[in-house]
Amino acid sequence: MKPEEEVASLIQGKLQSSVIGVKTPGPRRADIMVKSGFHRDAVSVLLEGFPQTMISTITALDLGDEIELDYHFWCGRTEATIRTEVSKSRPEIETITDIIPGASLYEREVFDLLGVIFLGHPDLSRLVLPEGWPREQYPLRKDWSPELTERSGFSENKPVKVGTVWAGGGGGSLVSVVLGPQHPALHEPERFLFKLDGETVVDVEPRLGYAHRGIEKAAEQLMFFQDVHLVERVCGICNVAHSMCFCQAVESLGEIEVPARAEYLRTIVHELNRIHSHLLLLGIAGLEVGFESLFHYLWRDREIVLDLTERLTGNRVMAEFSTIGGVRRDLNPILANEIKKGLSVLKGRMRFYKKVFSVDPTFTARTMGIGVLKEHEALKLSVVGPIARGSGLEIDVRKHDPYAAYDEIPFEEVIYKEGDSWARLMVRLDEVAESIDVITHAVDNLPSGPYRIRVSRRMPESEALSRIEAPRGELLHFVRGNGTAYPERVKIRSPTLANIISFRQMIKGCYVADIPAVLASLDPCFSCTDRMAFVDVKDDRRWIWSMNEIKARRERKEP
Amino acid sequence: MRRLELPQMIKEVAVALFSKPFTRQYPFSKPQLPEDFRGRQIFHPERCISCGLCARDCPAEAIEMIEVSDREMPMIHLDSCIFCYICVENCPRSALTGSTFYELASPSKQDLVLKPDGQETGQRGD
Amino acid sequence: MSLGVPFFFRVLVFPGFLFVLLITLFCDWFERKVMARMQNRMGPSYTGPFGILQPFADYVKLFTKEDIVPRHAERFLFAVSPILSFSLFVLSVFYFPFDGVNVFSNAGFEGDLLLVLAIVTFAHFTLFLSGWSSSNPYAGFGAIRILTQFVGYDIPLLILAVSPSLIARSLSLAKIAESQLIPFALLIPWIFILFLIALQAELEEDPFDIPHADTELVAGYGTEFSGRKFAFIRLSKDVQIVFGAVLTANLFLGGPYGPVLYGSPNIWFTFWFILKILFVIVILQLVKAVCARLRLDHVLRANWRFMVPVALLAFVLTALYSPWAHFLMGVPR
Repeated sequence: MKPEEEVASLIQGKLQSSVIGVKTPGPRRADIMVKSGFHRDAVSVLLEGFPQTMISTITALDLGDEIELDYHFWCGRTEATIRTEVSKSRPEIETITDIIPGASLYEREVFDLLGVIFLGHPDLSRLVLPEGWPREQYPLRKDWSPELTERSGFSENKPVKVGTVWAGGGGGSLVSVVLGPQHPALHEPERFLFKLDGETVVDVEPRLGYAHRGIEKAAEQLMFFQDVHLVERVCGICNVAHSMCFCQAVESLGEIEVPARAEYLRTIVHELNRIHSHLLLLGIAGLEVGFESLFHYLWRDREIVLDLTERLTGNRVMAEFSTIGGVRRDLNPILANEIKKGLSVLKGRMRFYKKVFSVDPTFTARTMGIGVLKEHEALKLSVVGPIARGSGLEIDVRKHDPYAAYDEIPFEEVIYKEGDSWARLMVRLDEVAESIDVITHAVDNLPSGPYRIRVSRRMPESEALSRIEAPRGELLHFVRGNGTAYPERVKIRSPTLANIISFRQMIKGCYVADIPAVLASLDPCFSCTDRMAFVDVKDDRRWIWSMNEIKARRERKEP
Repeated sequence: MRRLELPQMIKEVAVALFSKPFTRQYPFSKPQLPEDFRGRQIFHPERCISCGLCARDCPAEAIEMIEVSDREMPMIHLDSCIFCYICVENCPRSALTGSTFYELASPSKQDLVLKPDGQETGQRGD
Repeated sequence: MSLGVPFFFRVLVFPGFLFVLLITLFCDWFERKVMARMQNRMGPSYTGPFGILQPFADYVKLFTKEDIVPRHAERFLFAVSPILSFSLFVLSVFYFPFDGVNVFSNAGFEGDLLLVLAIVTFAHFTLFLSGWSSSNPYAGFGAIRILTQFVGYDIPLLILAVSPSLIARSLSLAKIAESQLIPFALLIPWIFILFLIALQAELEEDPFDIPHADTELVAGYGTEFSGRKFAFIRLSKDVQIVFGAVLTANLFLGGPYGPVLYGSPNIWFTFWFILKILFVIVILQLVKAVCARLRLDHVLRANWRFMVPVALLAFVLTALYSPWAHFLMGVPR
């Protein structure tokens, strides 16, 4: 039996009449609609039947009178979606965080943006919207528009009182230290509140949303082929992954078959992007532990990849290479040769770096045994990408849910069992070597034929889900069409959201000095707006000042 | 603490100390760009048929159709443009083509506009 | 030592304050250039020929920036500690015989090595105070780390710094330099290498960069300083490095004495001294370039388990070796 059928029949067998409908729209995809109130049973059945189940994300759509909730899981080699509905007038549903803790951030996101209350959630607070955002306004609902919020008086320039951030107590000897949003250790803004006992980290609370730009909402206002470019800008570094994932989702939606040459070309650019991202991160990891020379060398070698990408796609970073129906440019044989030459130079360099990373005493002292995430914890928290593979979990979308040309190109899945920062960095290092092999193989075996087919702008009223292995882990795009050229809903779950939840687990018991090293091995990728959190040391108040307040204070001091 | 024995890095560093720096001394030495680098677009007014596809398809809404001698022609707001080149691809008459010009930084926003009268704009005065 | 014009000239201009300042700026440029080249990039290049005016430009810029004092900072200490640390480091450099004799126009006194080391200890303490008086968690952490790391290197450093005096039979800086017919770096290399390690910790350079680890604590003890005060904090840092290089050059490389002396020896003394300072800086930068930053507990553990016992051993070894060293140098016992 095919894996998706296995999952579908398992749930149908156990839940019988609570299941309203079952679909298997494609290989490794299953959709199961359950009656409201039975989603917890469905999730439990999945976890019992397939212990290696991980939650991918929770999508929520505004259907008018109801809000549909889609729980996406990766289990038994299938991406299974458990679907249920709640009424908009009373949007409450029970949480699943007691069954699978990794769902906590996704439920908060749905609560923040659509107003669904998850009963029993340990900490249902805002995830992406700012603190002062008016209570009853949910941006992802269809009846919301920016004017509504403006009229309600919300403005970024008003100071907002924030209650005590810490839920737990904390003894007198514990010190709270805020890291970020501006900090040299972070290359993108996020706020972490650390509780420290001397130099040991006792707990940490991350606050996300500094980079929230409302891309999912904006995607509904643009046509599908324009959305490719919007979605590409979710992340600067893994832009190829986002555009490719989106294109794949839309092609699945419209049942478009992409030519083989395009699949191979997409694979090539995707892997080039992966090499770029990993080299960038390895350099940053070196910098965070104080190894500046390594940073400079790695980024110098990264230039090889940037130049190749520029020649292939027209830009060093923003590839804008995939489009719905194929890719936008072709690869000529001269460039193919250049790619192979450049990459073989890089491969030699990677051998050098591997030695340094493995043997250098100062580097290994800072990363081995630091920030350990054990395999069962990684599974429960549903982490993805190099973090999971560094803890021994075998989840590489390219291997288990192949897309593009990966089912035809042989490569090794890189797994390390140690689970510490060192393992996570080594996973990335070895993946660079693997990517070089993949690209060389793809370039040598490039099928002939067209590289692009023209498609209609309109997409049918259907839905599709696409998963790819971005450099940071599993990236998921869920697209629903409504018969027009504009999407009904675009849902993006980027890998860092899945991984950030593991930071707390990793950093407990580590020293302050380990924070940058662990963060770097996590490879977080967020982006942001401008906020400063203040902690008044005298009476432990916390509040946030806007830019105007800060400027006002500064002027008072000037003579 | 283990002995500071780092043969690989020491050799690497010593070699680098006596090699030429990798830095490219921009602006004294400019990079060699590939021909299909996505720089500022070039507009050919004689080819334009005023179909408006470029303006309609632009994801960033950076193209405005303005009237130039009784016809409607595209004006590209380079400060909004994301250089995706959808306009270049979709133009049925290739009235918009690409170039490798990338030095677009300018002290005034008014300069960052590609007007359809075929003049070069947004250039720095060096 | 009369307090006439020559004295003030020596103190304020050469080889005193102005000279030390210029050497500091020059060494700052030199460090950055060497480090850059080791990292395959250019370093300062455009301000002045080869970028040599870059440190000067940096300090001019800092002096013109706004000086903000945090509301809860200890005002007096906050204002005074940067200047105090700078002055103490400069004072310690004054005792070295740059042109054969030190700034005060005499050949120092017995034990001025110890005096210099004591002054530097005070200077470290003022750096701690600068961080502590800032009322900022990052600065506080940096300040604590400075003292913690101090515990981790000071004892070996003192033991090793005093070891050359076993051979020179004197605790005077000038006499130690004078007695190096063969530079001690070659004569007692074990002391030299260990001393360099301890010195790297004192200078807070990689791998002992902890107190102002910029990716961890923003700027460590210097976080809250801006404008003029920050300029002094940075200057203290730079003079400290110069002090370290000067100390090494004096104790192990023969100070101002070089193999070649034409004409007036005073110029040559200064020339050779500066050459040796630059040589030491190259070595220190090399160590910095190939190492990551060690964690504080690594440093402390390494100190008590390795450095202190080995330094003591080396000290004893040097004491036993001393007669043989004299024989090698051709000096009567």
